[in-house]
Amino acid sequence: MLRVAKRTRGRDGAGRGMAVPREMILARTFVELADSLVADFDVVDLLTMLAERCVELFDVTEAGIMLASADGDLRVIASSSEAMRVLELFELQSHEGPCLDCYRTKHAVLNQDLDTIGGRWPAFSVEAIAAGFHSVHALPLRLRDTTIGALNLFRQDRGTMGQSDIDAAQALADAATITILQHRAVIETNIVNNQMQLALTSRVLIEQAKGILTERSGVEMDQAFAALRSYARSHNQRLADVATALIDGTLDASTLRPHSPSTAR
Amino acid sequence: MADERRRRILKQLVPDGATEPKRLCDVCAEVVGVTGAGIMLMAGGVPRGSVCTTNEVSLLVEELQYALGEGPCVDAYNLNEPVLEPDLAAPSVPRWLAFTQPAVEAGVRAIFGFPLQVGAVRLGALNLYCDSPGSLSGERHADALAMADIAAQAVLVLQAKAPPGELAAALETGSDFQWVVHQAAGMVSVQLGVSVALALVRLRAHAFGNNRSLREVAQDVVGRRLRFDAQSGEKDPRP
Repeated sequence: MLRVAKRTRGRDGAGRGMAVPREMILARTFVELADSLVADFDVVDLLTMLAERCVELFDVTEAGIMLASADGDLRVIASSSEAMRVLELFELQSHEGPCLDCYRTKHAVLNQDLDTIGGRWPAFSVEAIAAGFHSVHALPLRLRDTTIGALNLFRQDRGTMGQSDIDAAQALADAATITILQHRAVIETNIVNNQMQLALTSRVLIEQAKGILTERSGVEMDQAFAALRSYARSHNQRLADVATALIDGTLDASTLRPHSPSTAR
Repeated sequence: MADERRRRILKQLVPDGATEPKRLCDVCAEVVGVTGAGIMLMAGGVPRGSVCTTNEVSLLVEELQYALGEGPCVDAYNLNEPVLEPDLAAPSVPRWLAFTQPAVEAGVRAIFGFPLQVGAVRLGALNLYCDSPGSLSGERHADALAMADIAAQAVLVLQAKAPPGELAAALETGSDFQWVVHQAAGMVSVQLGVSVALALVRLRAHAFGNNRSLREVAQDVVGRRLRFDAQSGEKDPRP
């Protein structure tokens, strides 16, 4: 069983020497979370950074993020430690735990004391306590009606998490959500646009090839198209590729043998 | 407020949750308060066709740019910024030497091109024209920007429903990609024994030289009323 290492943390930064003020780290984290335009943007990197910052900034021992895949199933995407990752995987396998409840209800699950709420998640509680955790929280990654996952915050200590920590953590989760949704929209846009450009270019080639075939064989446009299509099918080629071959002269119009009205019937 | 503006336009656009190309253009003109609007798609840096136009004049505005390769939409797309000409008949800096005269003769007095863009993806341009000269006020300019944004998204939403490698049915039937021009280019390439690209240039030159639209010339070629001859140039095969 992986157990979390005991961490001591000073909210004032005393544990890290004279560190950067917390507000500075928080502000910097917001900026970093908002930046999806970097060339090598990666969702896993973004969420790993979010998990690590949560541990650094808030009174929590470990943090982890799950995202829903296209089919709606949650996946563990980032964790602040291996012990956390293993526990989150267990949560998914046993179909119970704060992250799942948070994702299902779309609302925060807060201040759950594992030693007293064993009945809510019997299997998860045993596993989490064995790993060294005693209270758990989960915040939704949500924008308006869209919930894309949840942020888990687990603590070794009992007791509640301060409201200001909860608010700040939720704000970070919101920022990450917007960035992820934007990134997804960009990918989707690129795919659709590429397909449209490809379809347009293909159609231009096909119409040009129809013109060539019409002129060479003296058939009508629809017969030229039928000939292109039947050649493409019987040779297992894409229509646009046959058209291109006809246009650049590597395929001769006579090999397509379109049927003129007089010979067709 | 930008969000409020978007919501207002979207409400106007999709009262029943459906968008067809023609409606998109009508709303463009209504929202910005111009005489006519059109949405032009580009691929590979050249105009590929018209998703929609509100009237004959906006259709002509697009056809001219399609045939001539110049005009406010072509510039808006290439420069990636709005291109504004508040007085086309007496511009402060003359541009679009071939485009301007026929557009003015058709009644275009002010013309504006806005790039259609979603993120880094450029699709084409929104063209807006007025039958009297004048600039777009700040408010109308903002409406036009919001409209261009929405139109770009709408085109992508339409296309997103298409099977891979095909144009969406709504675009295929509702838009005008001037396929006849490409068919004619294929025919002329055989008639002249030149490449299709060169044949397209010859078609354009013929249209411009005879003061006709590229579409009309192409229709004549496909209808076998016009042939291009390598020796003697173009001729009418009809007796």
